[in-house]
Amino acid sequence: MTDPRGLSLSVVLPGMPQMLKGRWGVGGVSLMVWVGLLGVLLTRWARFAAGWSGPLDHQVASLTVVAGLLGTWGWSMFDVSRPVESERNGMGQWSLAAQAFRKNRIAVVGVMIVVAIYLIALVTPLIAPHDPATQGSLIASRLVRPGGDFPLGTDHLARDVFSRIMYGARISLSIGFVAVGISITIGTLLGAVSGYLGGWVDTVLMRFVDMVLAFPRLVLLIAILALFQSNSIFLIMAILGFTTWPSTARIVRGDVLSLREREFIEAAQALGFGRRRIILRHVIPNVLGPVIVAATLGIGNVIVLEAGLSFLGLGLQPPTPSWGSMVADGRDHLLTAWWISTFPGLAIVLTVVAFNLVGDGLRDALDPRLRV
Amino acid sequence: MRDARVTTSILGVGAVLLMGACGGGESGARPWSLEASLAEAGSGIPFCEEVTARVAEFMSQYEGQMPPSAQYGGAAVVGSIGEIPDGMNGHVSQDYTASQHQNFVNLMTLVAYDADANPTPYLAESWEVSDDNTEITFHIRDDVYWHDGELTDAYDVAYTFERAIDPETGFPNTAYWTHYDQGPDGVQVVDSFTVTFRMRPHADYIDPWRATAIMPEHLLGDVPSATLRQHPYGTVCPVGNGPFIFVQHRQDASWTFQANPAFPQALGGRPYVDRYIYRNINEPTTLLTDLLTGQLSVYIRPTPDQAQAVLDSDAVDLLAYPFRDYILVGWNARRLQLSDKRVRQALTRGTNREEIVDALLQGYGTVANGSVPPFHWAFDPSVGKDAMSYDQDAARALLEAAGWEDSDGDGVRENADGERLSISIKYNEGNDTRQDIAEIMQAQLAEIGVEVAPTVVEWGTLLSQITDPVDRDFDGVVIGWVVEYKLDDTDLFHSSSFSGAYGWSGTMRPDVDRLLEELPLVVDRDEAKPLWAEYQELLVDEQPYTFFYFPDRLDGVSKGLNDVQMDDRGEWVNVKDWWLSPDERR
Amino acid sequence: MRTFVVRRLLGAIPLVLGIATIIFFVVNLAPGDPAMRFLNPNMSDAAAEQIRVNLGLDQPIHIRYVRWLGALAQGDLGFSFTRNRPVLAIIGEILPNTLILSFTAIGVAFVMGILLGIVQAVRQYSLLDSVASIVGLFFYSMPSFWLALMMVLLFSLFASVWQWPIQFPPSDIQSVDYVFLGPMEKVQDRLMHLVLPATSLALVLAAGIARYTRGSMLEVIRQDFVRTARAKGLSEPVVIFKHALRNGLIPVITLLGLYLPFLFSGTVFIEFVFSWPGMGKLVVDAIGQRDFPVIMGGTLVFANMVVVGNLVSDLLYAVVDPRIRYD
Repeated sequence: MTDPRGLSLSVVLPGMPQMLKGRWGVGGVSLMVWVGLLGVLLTRWARFAAGWSGPLDHQVASLTVVAGLLGTWGWSMFDVSRPVESERNGMGQWSLAAQAFRKNRIAVVGVMIVVAIYLIALVTPLIAPHDPATQGSLIASRLVRPGGDFPLGTDHLARDVFSRIMYGARISLSIGFVAVGISITIGTLLGAVSGYLGGWVDTVLMRFVDMVLAFPRLVLLIAILALFQSNSIFLIMAILGFTTWPSTARIVRGDVLSLREREFIEAAQALGFGRRRIILRHVIPNVLGPVIVAATLGIGNVIVLEAGLSFLGLGLQPPTPSWGSMVADGRDHLLTAWWISTFPGLAIVLTVVAFNLVGDGLRDALDPRLRV
Repeated sequence: MRDARVTTSILGVGAVLLMGACGGGESGARPWSLEASLAEAGSGIPFCEEVTARVAEFMSQYEGQMPPSAQYGGAAVVGSIGEIPDGMNGHVSQDYTASQHQNFVNLMTLVAYDADANPTPYLAESWEVSDDNTEITFHIRDDVYWHDGELTDAYDVAYTFERAIDPETGFPNTAYWTHYDQGPDGVQVVDSFTVTFRMRPHADYIDPWRATAIMPEHLLGDVPSATLRQHPYGTVCPVGNGPFIFVQHRQDASWTFQANPAFPQALGGRPYVDRYIYRNINEPTTLLTDLLTGQLSVYIRPTPDQAQAVLDSDAVDLLAYPFRDYILVGWNARRLQLSDKRVRQALTRGTNREEIVDALLQGYGTVANGSVPPFHWAFDPSVGKDAMSYDQDAARALLEAAGWEDSDGDGVRENADGERLSISIKYNEGNDTRQDIAEIMQAQLAEIGVEVAPTVVEWGTLLSQITDPVDRDFDGVVIGWVVEYKLDDTDLFHSSSFSGAYGWSGTMRPDVDRLLEELPLVVDRDEAKPLWAEYQELLVDEQPYTFFYFPDRLDGVSKGLNDVQMDDRGEWVNVKDWWLSPDERR
Repeated sequence: MRTFVVRRLLGAIPLVLGIATIIFFVVNLAPGDPAMRFLNPNMSDAAAEQIRVNLGLDQPIHIRYVRWLGALAQGDLGFSFTRNRPVLAIIGEILPNTLILSFTAIGVAFVMGILLGIVQAVRQYSLLDSVASIVGLFFYSMPSFWLALMMVLLFSLFASVWQWPIQFPPSDIQSVDYVFLGPMEKVQDRLMHLVLPATSLALVLAAGIARYTRGSMLEVIRQDFVRTARAKGLSEPVVIFKHALRNGLIPVITLLGLYLPFLFSGTVFIEFVFSWPGMGKLVVDAIGQRDFPVIMGGTLVFANMVVVGNLVSDLLYAVVDPRIRYD
């Protein structure tokens, strides 16, 4: 059964039909992406067109616009034209979770914010009013109040705060993403191996986890940054990633311990599958729920941690605009030019709040015990 | 030790009276606890228990003495970033804040400088120099007591000198004494208050005695030189002879001193404030808040960006004055890109230092073109002013003359071998101004085709990178020098320093060497001035550094704190003359 | 129980030693030199070398390590390079400051967090739940140094400028007039100085605890015994506080142990902003100064706090959950 009115509406405003049907989560996200990217395309046509021959990040931005628009439109059309949900039979674990998640409106708002921030980060070269590193005249356009040419003002080196925040989104999000990627990969693998194999492997690995947990991370961080004599973004990602995995490992191990006793694992063992196959194919997929939650929450944590490092002077190499270093650098001006550190600070808060909302929503949704 | 407690509590009673008499209505009712503070400082360490007891006993004789006028009383609180490293231990200390406290607060130097850097008597009443400039005799005051009651005498002076030249001590300022005779006859105690030193003629023979606090021989004479650093004297229970008595040191938080009633009348007598307190506060915003809310009387060195907030306040004043330091970008001429002096000149001329001083320092500073700061008698403002002025075209021409041209059109110049004119400029983390300099240079030098990568390095690491004679792992470095009154660049620019810790630039010129050797020996200033000018011109031509600017030193001072004199001698130079308006006392 | 504690503590010794060893080599091999802080053309190379000798840095690193271990066995942590005092004495003076701050913050945070969490769980998905979540998340998401700076500006500077009835001192643990105060005034003075730093720290922690409590309570509320209690006709407060809370708190209590080490590193920022003379500030300063003995001392304290924290959380587990026995 298709919905002709929805189809025609979807041609213009993908997501709208879904919203009208009460699925305002997916609908809202699609609509937001569609309207946002369309706006970019129309207002920044020249930059969009020039983007294809520009530097890599420019190309990515233009590609994002095209892919985002086509993707949203296509998905919406497909979604509207396919049978409504109740006609499909059966519901898997994941769709049950999705249904639970959808009920949590605040978490859906979180998703929308996260998607919006990622979009902005990707299309920044098309929309940023100024180059983040270009300094204006130190005399004329230093510490300009928000408004006019500089919507969020300029900093002490006469750079546009708004543009720097947009570019900073990429840095902060990448740091969060990669560091958490490293962290959950190690954590999940070691946790699963430790929990599944048990015995001396478990003992050794858990002692190792204890040790990493007990390590004064700041001392280690500062010492390593001194040793490597550089504060490149990769080093910071790696350090944050390699020091934050133990909590994931513990969660996973705990889950695996109970999973090990379940029938389907025993069945797999009886079938003579190798340990590696059982761990990778059967154990890990079944503990992914908490891992996803941990990852979502972890991204927020890492962004805040990076800000802390910047405060101690251990942030990224300038003039890379990370939110943390913008807040930290701007704090000398708090009384005379509050906008330098306040806006990036709010950006951090908004992003971390959004990730946490999503994480909380996911936790509520993925844990069947918490479902109403 | 029981006796000691009794005497300290007697002192306590005296102090209550003192406070009551001068501190206004409210403080009279408060219990005084210098006793507890001193006992706390000494507890557990035999040396400290003994000396603090003696201090309390000696000071008790001044109990009940009324301060001579209503100007007296209150507590002056100074806030600054950082602990006082090495405390009051002048044997092992070189830190600026520490020296200031040793020389002006807790201890004394033989001579002091007046505002024009002319030596004036302080602990030494007078001195004579032999006609051939090889002997100096100091006559020490006979009325200066260590805070534990011993007289300060010539033996203390001789002891201080002997410890300073003893290699085992690890005295950080060995260069002070290079022209003094360090042999067995170098120092002779003529009588209890007269001491003679032998030396080679030198332009600044008196300067070390301005910089070195005299230490108590009767307390530290038995301590082996190599363990002086660890002695509790320095940071747990110092006993000085200066205008303020040590009362309490809370690790990483504060140092409390009390006015010394026994300080000689001829030198001004007891300081006006009852207590002087140094507080270590780490965050500039917090420091500013403390100053503006009246918790601090003085905020040492607010950032230039905070200057406006200080100026805007009705309760505090901003002091701004030229100091003895300069900020520079040191170039490593061992690098291919920087080996040609024309390139170094171009880097200087391509940087708008005037604009940077105006913007980053809010105008609190002067563009520098040489290593002689404005306070110094040899300073000549005309040196390099035109030769190194901001001129992008001149900079481009210099680069082209040196063979660097942008042949592939990527905006960065290359030489004939295709080597790119790309350099890094390092600076230490946590220093925003230096970071800003590096970033601004990156932007400005890009306009003349030089690629600059600002690189932040942790301070300790940066120091080893630039001082290691083998590595010299840097192209350019933003750093600062604090210049002493005895100005000597030998370690920086003399060819013999190429492999020394401070031979950062690695530039070598016979004419510079000749002048560096000659200058210290010219005792007459009028004779020396043209030589200094000549030397400065050579530096301008060679550009081992881009001398960046001489920053003004800024201090936020509460309007309630009066007669505060701060200049190139330091913030604490007349701490004993500070006095608080009656309603500012606490 | 006692054997369990002893066994755990003995088992922790290699752990702590392992950490200390790694940190020893990392900080000693990192570039930088403690004598560098005297860097000045007035200092000859010979003097720099002598300073290294006086600090015991002239020996090769393995000798230094063995010496350090030997001294440690006798309870000696050496002398600080910049503070020129025994590290043990310094830590003895500094550690209590950190502990006061941490425990106050933990106490406030747990009370606030648990109460908030219960309310949120009972009214899941309500407006109150959402608002509390968002507000809590707001503090949880703020970089703590930024939150602290805002506190300084608002409750100290602006409170003074705008003449609020109450304003708090922004720095240090006591005022300069502390010695003059009577016993009660002293307590009051210390408390006033504690307010801003402890609140800054507690706000961040409380948000996390509230989330955790909420989750844990939600889980418990849906269990059979709670339904039974309700079915028995017990009033809602009795059900929540008597039956559900006891079980819901089990995982929350274990957080207490996990927060101990966090507080050590988490307080760094708070200590810097409020100039609180504590361990975090001490150690970070020491790293900048290459004050090896202080870094090592701080590391040992930290590692031990983690061990004790884990132990405490295990023991608390046993206290709140009688099913768990350590024999």
